[in-house]
Amino acid sequence: MTIRFRTRAHVFWRCLFLQAAWNRRGMQNLGFAYAIEPALDALYADPARREEALARHLGFFNCHPYMAAAIVGGAIHHEELVAAGEEPGAAPLSYKATLQGPLAAVGDGFFWTALRPFFGALAALGALVAGWPLVVAAVLSYNLVHFGLRAALFRAGYREGDAVVGLIARLSLPRMADRLRAAGVALCGAALAALALQAGGVAAGTETAAVLVVGGAAGAGYLALSRGAPLFPAAYLVAMLGTIVAAVTGWDGRF
Amino acid sequence: MGYLLLGIVAGLAAVERKGFLQAMLSRPIALAPLTGLALGDLAGGLAVAAPLELLWLGAVNLGAALPVHEALGTVAVAGGAVLAGQALGTGVTPATAVLALLAGAPLALLGRRADRLVEVANERLALFAEEALRRHHPHAAVRLNLAGLAMPFAIAAVLAPAGAWVAAQLAVRLLHAAPTLDGPLRVGWWAFCGLACAAGAKALRARRAGAIFGVTAAVGLLIGLGLRVAP
Repeated sequence: MTIRFRTRAHVFWRCLFLQAAWNRRGMQNLGFAYAIEPALDALYADPARREEALARHLGFFNCHPYMAAAIVGGAIHHEELVAAGEEPGAAPLSYKATLQGPLAAVGDGFFWTALRPFFGALAALGALVAGWPLVVAAVLSYNLVHFGLRAALFRAGYREGDAVVGLIARLSLPRMADRLRAAGVALCGAALAALALQAGGVAAGTETAAVLVVGGAAGAGYLALSRGAPLFPAAYLVAMLGTIVAAVTGWDGRF
Repeated sequence: MGYLLLGIVAGLAAVERKGFLQAMLSRPIALAPLTGLALGDLAGGLAVAAPLELLWLGAVNLGAALPVHEALGTVAVAGGAVLAGQALGTGVTPATAVLALLAGAPLALLGRRADRLVEVANERLALFAEEALRRHHPHAAVRLNLAGLAMPFAIAAVLAPAGAWVAAQLAVRLLHAAPTLDGPLRVGWWAFCGLACAAGAKALRARRAGAIFGVTAAVGLLIGLGLRVAP
């Protein structure tokens, strides 16, 4: 028996709630069981077998929430085989246990530390240069990639089962992540220039002081953070130091 | 009415941040303008959005580690700056922005503590779900997952407007009492903006990040200055 497209779409929608009840004991266990429930309802007419299947998905699970879509899709693939008597009940669990760690690492490295910061920096630069329309464009672009990949991973997991690993490997996400990180840093540099120019206002000849304040704080801040300075105290120190120095020297803050 | 809207925006952002969707809508760059919009000042929210996004670019949920609650901090800072600007009749200025930042940003740390409480409460939900399944109520068991969204919503909906109120009060009272501080606070804000860019560049952990950051900033400045002097 195979799951209908409508049921799979329902499961995909529920995947978006994977972390709703994230907890330290089972992590995304409740979210996973919630997501896969419509598929189990469709596969197991016998309530006892359905409950048994649901119970195995209430066990520990933790993965990157986007990459988990591939595992949910693959778990349905395996549950179809279990329901047909072609695999033991432990097969979906072993699939989940094998993939959750590696996919979490790939997802964290690509989505959380590269793609999203890249689009965050892009949107920040857009906000400084052209206002809200570029912020909307950047957020929409991020979600085009995010939802596109999330849906594709879910479909690939369902269709390919264990072979989804090869498909994900071919995406070369770690290499792409390196490029996105470097591009994100460049966007932060461009944002710094935009902020310094904004601080300088529109009058000619006011830029030097603005560059000294904004650029100086950035340079000193970067060095301090590189040496392990905590972010919050550094932010407070810089903001207060700038204020105090200006107050003591009688600077009116006009660059 | 403004505080009610602020609470709803903060609550929804707290849910979107981890429990549902995670489509960047709770990131400072989207949330600060939305906060401004809820209070009737989109431009005011946008004015603080970019520095806050860059400051908290590294606030990500890796594994079981809890980052600062950047959404809570953002609503408090952006809301505080906009409310102060409205009370003073100036709109969001660098002075109101930096004061709102100093008063509102600690909410991001408080939010992280609240997240720990949410995790403990969710652990009980998972236990209830196992119990419901043992009693042969599978649908009720898995639907408990959605109950996990309530607590983050409620915490943010209460704390964020309170933080914004405190931030706005501080800014308004200080600038009323010492209007001459407006100039020095401008310098403080722009210095903070510089640090925020550095924090963003550092958070990305790219190879040769320092060099890339410095070179692109210099090139950006030259281009910007060139455009400015061009007729």
